[in-house]
Amino acid sequence: MTNSYDALVDLLVHRFDVDPAKITPEATFEDLDIDSLFMVELLLVVQAELGVEIPDEAATPRDTIAKAAELIGAQLAASAS
Amino acid sequence: MTAVAVTGLGLVTAAGIGAQATWAGVCAGRSAARRDPNLAGLAVDFSCTVPGFDPALHVGTRSRLIHDRFVQLALTAAREAVADAGHDPAGWDGARVGVVIGCGLGGVATWERQQRAMTENGPGSVSALLIPMLVPNMVAGNIAIDLKATGPNLVTATACASGATALGIARDLLLADRCDIVLAGGSEAGVSPLIVTGFAQMGALSRRTDDPAAASRPFDAGRDGFVIGEGSAVLVLEREPDARARGAHIRARFAGYGASADAHHLTAPDPQGTGVIKATYDALRDAGLAPEDIDHVNAHGTSTPLNDEIEANALGVLFGAGPAVTSTKGVLGHALGAAGAIEAALSVLTLQHSTVPPTANLEHQDPKIDLDVVAGAPRHGRLKAAVSNSFGFGGQNAVLVFAAT
Repeated sequence: MTNSYDALVDLLVHRFDVDPAKITPEATFEDLDIDSLFMVELLLVVQAELGVEIPDEAATPRDTIAKAAELIGAQLAASAS
Repeated sequence: MTAVAVTGLGLVTAAGIGAQATWAGVCAGRSAARRDPNLAGLAVDFSCTVPGFDPALHVGTRSRLIHDRFVQLALTAAREAVADAGHDPAGWDGARVGVVIGCGLGGVATWERQQRAMTENGPGSVSALLIPMLVPNMVAGNIAIDLKATGPNLVTATACASGATALGIARDLLLADRCDIVLAGGSEAGVSPLIVTGFAQMGALSRRTDDPAAASRPFDAGRDGFVIGEGSAVLVLEREPDARARGAHIRARFAGYGASADAHHLTAPDPQGTGVIKATYDALRDAGLAPEDIDHVNAHGTSTPLNDEIEANALGVLFGAGPAVTSTKGVLGHALGAAGAIEAALSVLTLQHSTVPPTANLEHQDPKIDLDVVAGAPRHGRLKAAVSNSFGFGGQNAVLVFAAT
């Protein structure tokens, strides 16, 4: 989870101009002003940058950063095995 | 008829950010055109872009993610205009506030970047924000979101007349009592490689690549095309009795509007100027003024051989050689869909300051142009009423009349 969490934080900070001080594992995307449209864009960026495909319905703005990082981590592990 | 008052102005142009910077720039009469690194290697590699514009600073942290430049410039101008008018969007009745913004192209730079991404990296690389960044109506939509203006909201597209058309429609909304306040203007950020090449291929642009600052020279015998520019202007319009009742400072009266179509050619103006003359008479009638009441014209004056000659002939038919004419495109270049709004704002400032800015680079007036064109230095003297002309490819003409308070 650590790697995928750090990668996600990196995208949020550098691609979505989110203030790093606001990001915690328990924060939701909504807390970071990532609405549903930004969520779709985030998943596209995750796919392009990390090579992981997360379906739109699997992640919502009400999810925490930790939960999304876990999803990304599981997908990364699955594609590595 | 109830008059409409201009109570606030916001400007972002190649002469600077803010109404003050733009007014100082046009009065100085020095062209803002310079070589443009984004156009390097193209047949026309210079433009008039807004200097020092920083979306994070002027709009907000995440603006670059959600706004094309044409929206960023407009948000900056709209906020300036509303503050200038003394309105507080936190307190106004947003349902009675309309937004009408002219735009010729929309988010073309976004379009080009995303097309490149798709070609190079496939459809998966196309942004989910492409559509909300590129469609032209987003400029009015974003102003509504930013300033809580929930009244009628639209974008006008009449090419290079778009900004003037927006003002005319805004005036109609006020006179029909559909709004109490309208934020009206124009915005364009079309200085992209594809758009510049398109205008160059049709022969519309000046090729004076060895001396960009001398390229935009409206009414000069040596003119050879326009210089592409960008920018935004927003004017706060209110019915004059409302403006007086709240003790607003009225910069000028927006007295009349006329519009017409040439129905002549895709891009060339009607050589008889019939549409322009009709639109001007309509605007004068709307204003309750006669041609001899007009003592200033802010011309469309693009610096193309054809426009300037035909416009001058039409002005001669309408007004003789009476009014002091200027083209501020000499300094600012041609900001396309924003130009009509920028020039409307400058016409207001001209009346307010009793000062006609000079036409940059006018050294040898074309002998075929028999007009009193102000050149060299600003001309000072009391002015009563001004006409601002805007004409678009497609033959669309919009003529605005402003009167001093």
